[in-house]
Amino acid sequence: MSKKLTPYLFLTPALLVIAVFVLYPIGAVVYYSFTEYNIMTPPEWVGLRNYQQLFRDDIFWQAMKHSFTYLLVTPILICLSILLAIVVNRKLPGIQIFRALFFIPVVSGSIAVGIAWRLMWDTNGIINGILLSLGALEEPIQWLAEPAYTLPIAMALTTWLGLGYYMMIFLAGLQNIPEELYDAAEIDGCNAWQKHWYVSIPGLRPQITFVAVISSLAALQVFNEIFTLTGGLGGILNSGVTMVFYLWRKAFRLNQAGMASAIAMVLLMITLAFSIFNMRFLERGTEEQ
Amino acid sequence: MRTKLFALLTLLGIVLSACSPAPVVTPTPEVIEKTVVETQIVEVTPMPAPNPERVIENVEDGAEITIWTFWLSPTFDDYLKNTITRFNEAYPEVTVNWEDHQATFQDDLRNAFAAGNAPDVINLSISEGWVSDYASQGLLLPLDDAVSQDVKDVYFPNLWDQQAVDGKHYQFPWYQGIIVNLVNTKILTDAGLKVEDFPKTIQELPAFCQTIKDATGTLCDIRLSVNDLLAQMTYEGGVQVINDDGTAFSFDSPEAVAWLQLYIDMVKAGTVDKTVLVTDQDRVGLDLFTSGQAAFYNTGPNLIREVRANNPALYGYLSVVPAPVGKSGIVGKGLMALSVKADTAYPNASLALAQFFSNPKSMLEFSKIVAIYPSTPASYDDPFFSAAPVAIEDSAKPYAKDAVSKLADIVPTVPHKAEVNEIVLQAVQKALFEGADPQTVLTEAVAAANALLP
Amino acid sequence: MTGQDQALADSRLAFLRRLFSNTMIYVILCLVAVVTIFPFVWVLFTSFKGPNDPIVSVPPQLIPLDPTVANYIRVWNQLPVWRFYLNSILVAVAIVVLNTLFSALAAYPLAKMKFRGREVIFYSLLATFIVPPVLTSIPSFILAVKVFHYYDKLVSVIFPYLVTVINIFLLRQAFKSVPDDLIDAGRIDGAGELRIWLRQAFKSVPDDLIDAGRIDGAGELRIWWSILLPIIRPSLATVAIITFVEQWNNFFWPSLMLHTDEQMTLQVGLVALQGAFLNDARGIAAGVVMTVVPMIIFFVALQQQFIRGLTGAVKG
Repeated sequence: MSKKLTPYLFLTPALLVIAVFVLYPIGAVVYYSFTEYNIMTPPEWVGLRNYQQLFRDDIFWQAMKHSFTYLLVTPILICLSILLAIVVNRKLPGIQIFRALFFIPVVSGSIAVGIAWRLMWDTNGIINGILLSLGALEEPIQWLAEPAYTLPIAMALTTWLGLGYYMMIFLAGLQNIPEELYDAAEIDGCNAWQKHWYVSIPGLRPQITFVAVISSLAALQVFNEIFTLTGGLGGILNSGVTMVFYLWRKAFRLNQAGMASAIAMVLLMITLAFSIFNMRFLERGTEEQ
Repeated sequence: MRTKLFALLTLLGIVLSACSPAPVVTPTPEVIEKTVVETQIVEVTPMPAPNPERVIENVEDGAEITIWTFWLSPTFDDYLKNTITRFNEAYPEVTVNWEDHQATFQDDLRNAFAAGNAPDVINLSISEGWVSDYASQGLLLPLDDAVSQDVKDVYFPNLWDQQAVDGKHYQFPWYQGIIVNLVNTKILTDAGLKVEDFPKTIQELPAFCQTIKDATGTLCDIRLSVNDLLAQMTYEGGVQVINDDGTAFSFDSPEAVAWLQLYIDMVKAGTVDKTVLVTDQDRVGLDLFTSGQAAFYNTGPNLIREVRANNPALYGYLSVVPAPVGKSGIVGKGLMALSVKADTAYPNASLALAQFFSNPKSMLEFSKIVAIYPSTPASYDDPFFSAAPVAIEDSAKPYAKDAVSKLADIVPTVPHKAEVNEIVLQAVQKALFEGADPQTVLTEAVAAANALLP
Repeated sequence: MTGQDQALADSRLAFLRRLFSNTMIYVILCLVAVVTIFPFVWVLFTSFKGPNDPIVSVPPQLIPLDPTVANYIRVWNQLPVWRFYLNSILVAVAIVVLNTLFSALAAYPLAKMKFRGREVIFYSLLATFIVPPVLTSIPSFILAVKVFHYYDKLVSVIFPYLVTVINIFLLRQAFKSVPDDLIDAGRIDGAGELRIWLRQAFKSVPDDLIDAGRIDGAGELRIWWSILLPIIRPSLATVAIITFVEQWNNFFWPSLMLHTDEQMTLQVGLVALQGAFLNDARGIAAGVVMTVVPMIIFFVALQQQFIRGLTGAVKG
């Protein structure tokens, strides 16, 4: 009898934790999304009202738009990281130092870096200082108070943060590509650029897929950058509000756990769709290969 | 032998009873009156006179209650501990636990309510509208039948009536502030202005800010109360935000548009700091002023201590002027209150504590250590308030009683207050930063708000 | 021109071309390095600026002419920065140890044992990967406040992360790559020896329990602990490092749970710092430096392990 129990015993701690902190919450969120719940008094069933209000809510659609806009970070990051990995993939003196240098933003954490960026882009920050000195500006711009600039600055921050990390991944991938492929390409008459296009990039397909999935899921769920750059406010006119930020605000600032749960359900549908899409893409890619 | 004795005794008894004197006719006795003074020495243990500050009855014996104060530690630790000690002199049977919460007060309170261990007595902000927020969720104890009329009469009536929900009262008015403007006279002088030139009305503010910006490049440090724009509209613009039966919102009236236009113009002219304008944290605006980067800031004189602590150099340039009045003629509502949670295990003990902290003597002591003002008329009879002001923090003393008695909560009860204010905030932001037409955005907002009404 | 001259000319040309391209490479690298390092450098300098050094000026003044450590002292006195560090270390280490343990425990049967529901359990676990963490945070928050009552305590930040699905997945891969015969050999390996080993290892376990046939379960445990874990040590290291960095940088959940200064982890404390020193750029800069520099030093010292760990998870 115990022989049969053994696997389950091994699994017990993990299953227990997952049950309490993942499975139960999923069920609970589904339930809460049909209630009005401020955490202090018991939840009150309201049926589909949260979803109806959400549908009519301008800010929600704005948040979704911002989240999808944020996805632009992924292709930009992939291109820049691959380029950087190619540049860094050679035995030049001091190359190790550069590789380590590029990795520093990753270990510093998005919060510390976000706070540092907030200082930089402040009206009294160094960015304005440099632009003013160069004569590019006459008056300092309140960068983080301009609705149009909030999201781009956040996206730049995410790109900046991810560059070193993804560069390393692509570097490892590049080093796994056998030399013979490059030699074969050279014999076929390819120059440097063509070599990379026909050999490196296809060879990096697994890494590209991995980075694409991770980066896009992260972009859809970005929070830290928005939080630090806008001081928890989401930017003027909600210019920096993304779906996760809106969820957080509804749940923990406005005490509307029911509405927040409805947003969470929508977010779940989106990540589900995205994951399925990514996996199809994956399959088709490996088939072609 | 025994039988012989027994027989003898019985015989004696019979003989004696036989020999009881027959009724004899005696002469009428002379009545001699003699006053007999009996002195009895009785040990009296003097009963302690009832403590005059003990006004709540039926206080539960052995009650243990908790009180939360908002951002009063560590500056006022001694005062609060002394008040609790005095409370125990009046109500020795109650044990009091005191906690002070600061930036995370609302979060902590919400979580405490959720966990079921909220404090019995809670220091809530009237100015931020917390009392009506929590009362409308049914989380606070209604006071109307809980305390006697004598207790209620201790306070200014306008303060007692604040933030009533459905006609029921939920708070003991605590310390009040006079809303003033702290002025950085150095910046004013640089702009060629004098303290006397400071605007008396809200409508004069834009021109003032323009002068300051033109001369010194400094922006105005003005904060919209983004959590309750309806209230700000009412006080500053004289706007009636909802119709009398509460069936339709009306904050798209010409008065509302005029009020909004005032701020739109300032943003367009670039005379205000945009981040401060829409921040929901008072500290952001206060810190901008304290760091010497703003000409004035609208707050209470009790926060002058922050200026003194964080930027002593500025303290020398500080001046205090009454806050500009809006079209309503009323400057504002009260500051702080003490409420009791609805499901407290010790209602009478909690009421006693809340009442004690807000009684005239306690508040007078408080006023003596910081520039706040009592919510009880009796406190102002103390010579402390008739003494001439010395330091700048005291400059409001002479007119304090008058000002406090005029504080009023003139905003009507607004259903779905948080959500409607959110709608108004979005509309206002569109008008301020996207150049949308104020009348249009306000009318749309009214429509959206009306959709929430049943 | 002779063939030799031509070859010489060609090689010279090639040399010049390589020199040119190498120089270009260095230029690009330096440019990227500047963009990467610049914010850190600027923050570092700002943190040392005295009250007379302007934060912003035309032209911008990078180096403080009036250097001071007063900003650091101010921040240190106001907030318990050392406590932030301690808390982060405690939490990260606890999670790394326990998470690796539990994930490894769970990964083994999923990789190497046959039992009913194996596929169902594995794919269900995998499916939870797409659930956004922010979604589960709402009920977890309510649980923390109402049921577990560990709001504002460090355990609240440890419990939800005792197991992560990614780690189970990675370790399962690692286990799968261990050849089956090694494990079968372990299973066959004399029951007699097992009994002796058990007696030594589990002295407190009563005999009847062992006799009742628990031997098989403990046998698997022994295989797991003494044979397999050492083999997959590199993967364990990978998982440990990924988890460590993840937890160190974790902000969202801790920010919901930890409110008193003394309980905060580093990331949450940093944000509190920013709130406490709102218009004090020098103070904020000092705070950022204090929290980032030790991590950078730690990273530089363990560079190879870090990079191998964080990128090693991605197999070609």
